[in-house]
Amino acid sequence: MLLPESMSRIVIVGANSHIDEAIEALYSVNAVHLIDHTVDADEGFNIGNSRPYAPKVAERLLKVRAMEKELGIDKKTKALPITDVEIKSQISSDSVEAVDAEVRSVIDRRNDLNQRITDLNATKRNLEILSELPIDLELYSGYATIDALVGMAGEDPTSALSGIECEIFQGVAKKGDRPVAVFVRKSDRDKAVEALSSVGFNEIALPTGTGSASAALAAVDRDISTAESGLEVVQKELEMLLEKHKSFLKAADEELSIQLEKGELPLRVASSEFTFVIDAWVPASKVEAVKSDLESMVDGIYVEVQETRGRKMAEQEEAEPRFKVPPSNLKNGQVVKEFEYVTKLVATPKYQEIDPSILIAIFFPLFFGLMVGDVGYAIPFIILGAYGLKVAKNKDWRAIATVLFFGGIWAFVFGFFFFGECLGMHFVESAHTLDVESTWQGLLGLDGLPEIFNGLLPHETGVGKLHDVGLLLKMSVYIGIVHLLIGYGCALYNLTIQHGFAHAFKEKGGWLLGFIGIVLLCFGLAMFLIYPDDYSFSDVLPFVGIGLVLIVVEIVMNIKHEGIQAILELPGFIGNILSYTRLAAIGMSKAGMALAFNYIAINMIAMGLGGVAGIIVGGLLFAFLHLMVWTLAILSAGLHGMRLQLVELMNKFYEGGGIEFKPLRIKRKQTIYTEKSTKEV
Amino acid sequence: MVDEGTGLIAIGAGLAVGLAGLGSGMAEKDIGAAAVGAITEDLSLFGKAMIFVVLPETIVIFGLVVAILGIFVMGS
Repeated sequence: MLLPESMSRIVIVGANSHIDEAIEALYSVNAVHLIDHTVDADEGFNIGNSRPYAPKVAERLLKVRAMEKELGIDKKTKALPITDVEIKSQISSDSVEAVDAEVRSVIDRRNDLNQRITDLNATKRNLEILSELPIDLELYSGYATIDALVGMAGEDPTSALSGIECEIFQGVAKKGDRPVAVFVRKSDRDKAVEALSSVGFNEIALPTGTGSASAALAAVDRDISTAESGLEVVQKELEMLLEKHKSFLKAADEELSIQLEKGELPLRVASSEFTFVIDAWVPASKVEAVKSDLESMVDGIYVEVQETRGRKMAEQEEAEPRFKVPPSNLKNGQVVKEFEYVTKLVATPKYQEIDPSILIAIFFPLFFGLMVGDVGYAIPFIILGAYGLKVAKNKDWRAIATVLFFGGIWAFVFGFFFFGECLGMHFVESAHTLDVESTWQGLLGLDGLPEIFNGLLPHETGVGKLHDVGLLLKMSVYIGIVHLLIGYGCALYNLTIQHGFAHAFKEKGGWLLGFIGIVLLCFGLAMFLIYPDDYSFSDVLPFVGIGLVLIVVEIVMNIKHEGIQAILELPGFIGNILSYTRLAAIGMSKAGMALAFNYIAINMIAMGLGGVAGIIVGGLLFAFLHLMVWTLAILSAGLHGMRLQLVELMNKFYEGGGIEFKPLRIKRKQTIYTEKSTKEV
Repeated sequence: MVDEGTGLIAIGAGLAVGLAGLGSGMAEKDIGAAAVGAITEDLSLFGKAMIFVVLPETIVIFGLVVAILGIFVMGS
């Protein structure tokens, strides 16, 4: 539970003639973490070649992906899954090529139509210019000595062309530009172009065809609408193709990806002319089963267990470079698994250290609940968390939902049995209740409440976040001390399994003793300073004395290898412990906000305005303001709860930097795995 | 009315939290900017970046503890 799963290293040797079966078998046992072969690691072995079918598979996969892109199929497209036998037979009977041809022909038609529409639109723009001029299309060209220049000009070109012999036709100016046609001698063309450029002339291509420009324009318009309706038909066809082939394409994509991964597996293993050698990590608990499964599934392969890696660092140091670091497979139950997310925010645990996920799973929701501590906020947290856990697939959302759900449960427990509070109001009145504070007892006129709750709640009426600050602070500090002691304990444990107890105690024992010393010293001094009437110095002397002795031991133990740090760290212990007072502080800030908001909504608005209007406005405001406190609670309680785990706790022992255990495994979503296909293998 | 001493304690408590808050804010400003820069480069650094950003937060908690001690211990 605490440490990542114990790993064994196996080596699988077989004849190249059986490699395809071996690959299938490796995937089917679902527990083999491949160790990539490195060049020159073993004499006589090279990196293998991909299987002969791989290039064909890659080519088909490329086609399928291109079609998916053209048809707009993505991860979110829903399609019915197909059985793997069916999709395999479809692929091997060249369905990919057939579908590709079908889709390609429609896509080509669509591209042609798009091109045609673009061309027609360009012609249309030209004709729109020409239709402003009183000249038929055939009159623009076909002269022996005269050239026509047609286009848009920024201003009247008559004066600019005054020196050149020419005839000018102009249309009506629109937005400052006017259509212009100029007929000049061929020899004067260059001069005319130069003169026209001074009036911002933009030449267009001379038209072909006959008759008036407006008639030609109408014809082009007809062509465009024909092409557009053609395009619509093609789009419909594409949509039909999408519907028709989406199941096939998604399934083929998945199946081909799987085949490609399998086909390229030999690139990761060692291979000689006739044999292959695969190194892999397998969980130690499964290694015998994996060995017998593999050997029974494939003829002519031999599996040997090389070692079961212990937790000593020395074993890791002695190993060959590629076998040095075993992968970490975190072994956690369903609930704790969700908290691995927080651990992995920092790093994957090393093979030789405690996986802090379980500590986070215990303390994070507990701290969250203690900081929220209110029935009224807890219930929405529980509902939202449960809903999130039910629907959310995304890892981030699942992690948040888990914290909200379990944190909400703790918040309910603390709110109901400890603080006796709902939406910032205590259930029952007490001697501490302020004038500005409402209680459910007073608000609803339920005089029976005290009888129910007096037996349940501490201090008869529940702990007030704003009155019993001393108690809450002390509680936070004690929780902090326990939490930190667990951290130091884990550090000792990690080092003990890595290097032995003597080494661990030398390295971390000093800090643990120093920490206990500081706790005792501060406890004694605090008692004496805060309650001088109740405690004399001789009462607290044992605490102070033992504390000082432990601190001296810490300094002596650490001064050699830590230097001055051994003394400078001492105030850090106090800082670490005081950091936990945020547990009380955040509860206080929530309670303070809720108190103010309740006063505004209930006393000022609802009672101030009076009547139905007062209750409605006050009620709405009440809901809105508490929603605000609730939202802030997610942020502050969530972040601070997490911080106490990541900074205070995990800094004490957690190193991280492990490799995640990733067994060879096939994930099927669009294809259904059937028994029949297994037998085919 | 409250007496002068209580008023001074309240001012002291306010200063303790306020100044400590300013201090944490100034410290987190620089770390936060650097952290966002690092996360833009590599999202997997989020966890480590968050740890660094929230480190100075403890300072304001010290301020709060001093303020609470001031109010509840000296005040009573």
